[in-house]
Formats: sequence, structure tokens, C-alpha cells
Amino acid sequence: MLNGIPLSWFLILAAALFCIGLYGALARKNAVAILMGVELMLNAVNINLIAFWRYLNPSATVGLAFAAFVFIVAAAEASVGLALIISAYRNMRSVDPEQMDLLKM
Amino acid sequence: MTFGQILFILFGLVTIIAAVMVVVRRNLFHAALFLVLSFFGVAALYVLLEAYFFAAAQVLVYVGAISILIIFAVMLTRGVMGGQSGNSQWREAAVICGILLVGLVGLLSPVAINFLGRNFGGLQWRIAGGAAGLPVVSEQILANLGMGFVDLNQYALPFVLSGVLILLAMVGAIWVARERHPAEVLAERKQIAAELAADAAAEAITTPEVAPTEQHAH
Repeated sequence: MLNGIPLSWFLILAAALFCIGLYGALARKNAVAILMGVELMLNAVNINLIAFWRYLNPSATVGLAFAAFVFIVAAAEASVGLALIISAYRNMRSVDPEQMDLLKM
Repeated sequence: MTFGQILFILFGLVTIIAAVMVVVRRNLFHAALFLVLSFFGVAALYVLLEAYFFAAAQVLVYVGAISILIIFAVMLTRGVMGGQSGNSQWREAAVICGILLVGLVGLLSPVAINFLGRNFGGLQWRIAGGAAGLPVVSEQILANLGMGFVDLNQYALPFVLSGVLILLAMVGAIWVARERHPAEVLAERKQIAAELAADAAAEAITTPEVAPTEQHAH
């Protein structure tokens, strides 16, 4: 199925997805939207890992194992991040990171 | 143009456009739904890469679980949406991401680009199989991966540790987001305020104010 698709196409697509996710993480006003941007970035990295596995060394399992651990860490990150957002919202009725400045001196 | 190229462009466009909608839509609920579409596009790319297990895992973990978590978070924090979608630094962020994107695409482009006297891009990857074309993925690869996860010489330790990580993340998430009785929260805030006041009083005693008139002594 990969006939005629160079590896660089996948890498460029993943780079574009990563930059879009980075923009979402840097520029959004809502903490939940920032987490969405982080999820997009993690997906871009996973595309890269699996593309490298398929093109460079499809007989080894190490690329797939890396991608699996990225999945696991992403799930843990999403659950803890959203719990933190909900807790912060309960305390200050806001999910705007610019207003979360309790630790600021 | 081959069938694979057409599929790649189709699913790539779906993924990218949905991702752009995620970061620009003002309504967070719509953004979450576009995020689901973007995850589906990535799953289709995994199918194109013949990583079928990861396509299924993507649908289960991202489309099934993480997107539901995000939609729940959006709905639990409702009423704070609206207004502008970007924060005060969104222009700087757009410039940074644009520069990064142009740089990465230049570095990864299949043809070499001459920029300021240097050549960028045109990387030669050592593709498996060489001129004979990509080898087919072994049917055994998934079985090998599963054995690797329980093999002490391969990934058994990281696999067990990731299980511990998931368990700790789950317990921590429940602990952080638990419902607290309002009286308990009030009592805690009063105690913190009392401690802060005591600290301030102690500091005032130990560091007496220096009178400004003593400064010309030397």
C-alpha cells in the first residue's frame, strides 16, 4: 500500500501536525484547548515513530514498542491534566491559564 | 499518481484541516469533535503504514477514551467559553510556529533546497530493502512485540513500569478531582490564612524596620 509514498511525506505531515499542536498549546486561552494541542503534538510524534519503523527497520519491534509507550504516557497525561483542570476550575471558577497565578510572588 | 499516494493525500488533508480547526475554533465543543476527526485521520495513516494494531489502539485509546475525557472536561467547565480564542501572545506563537514549520519542511523536503549558500533537505534515508522496494511486514511482528513486552531481555521492565504509571495517574486523577465538602474547603482556607498571618507577624518581629536617619552614620 505504500507504493510511491516517500518517507519524507510522512515526516512533513507529522511536522505540520506538530506545529499546529504547538500553536494550539501556546496560543489558546483555555486550559482544555491547551491539552488538545498537546495531544496533537503527541500524535505527530507517534506518526514519525511508526513511519520510521515501517521504512527503516520493519522487521524489528523496537519502533512499535516506542509508539506503544507513547500511547500509554499520553493516556496518563490526559487523565491527570484534565483532573487538574477540573480541580482548578472548582477553586477559581476559571480555566484561563493567565489567571492561574497563585504561585506567583 | 498511485492509489497509495491518493489515499495519503486524502487522509493527510483530513488530519491537517481537522487539526487546524481544533486550534482556531472558538467553541471548545466543536474543537473537541474536530480533534476526534483528526485522531481518525491519524488512525487511517497507521493503516497506510501497515501498523494495524496501532490503528486499532488509536481508535480505542484516543477516539474512545481521551476524546471522551476531553469532552467531559469541556462540559464540566462550561460557561467560561466565548470571548476570543487566543490569549494575549497568540501572534508571537503563530510567528514561532510558522518559522518552525518552514524550517522543518525545508529540512525534510525530498529535494535539496539551496538557502544562503547551504543545501537543506534532500536527506537520503537508508530505506529497508533498498532498490528492491519495501519488504512486506512479517505476520509475526505483533506476536514478536507481545513477546517483547514480557521478555526480561527486552521491554518487560518498561512495560511493568508503564502499568504502574497508569495506576498512579488514575489514583492521582481521582484524588485531585475529587468532590470536596464546602465546609472542608472553607476550614482549610481559614487555616492557610491563619498560618500566613502568623508567618507575617513572626517576620515583622524578627526584622525590625531600620530608621532612615541611621543611614548617614558612616
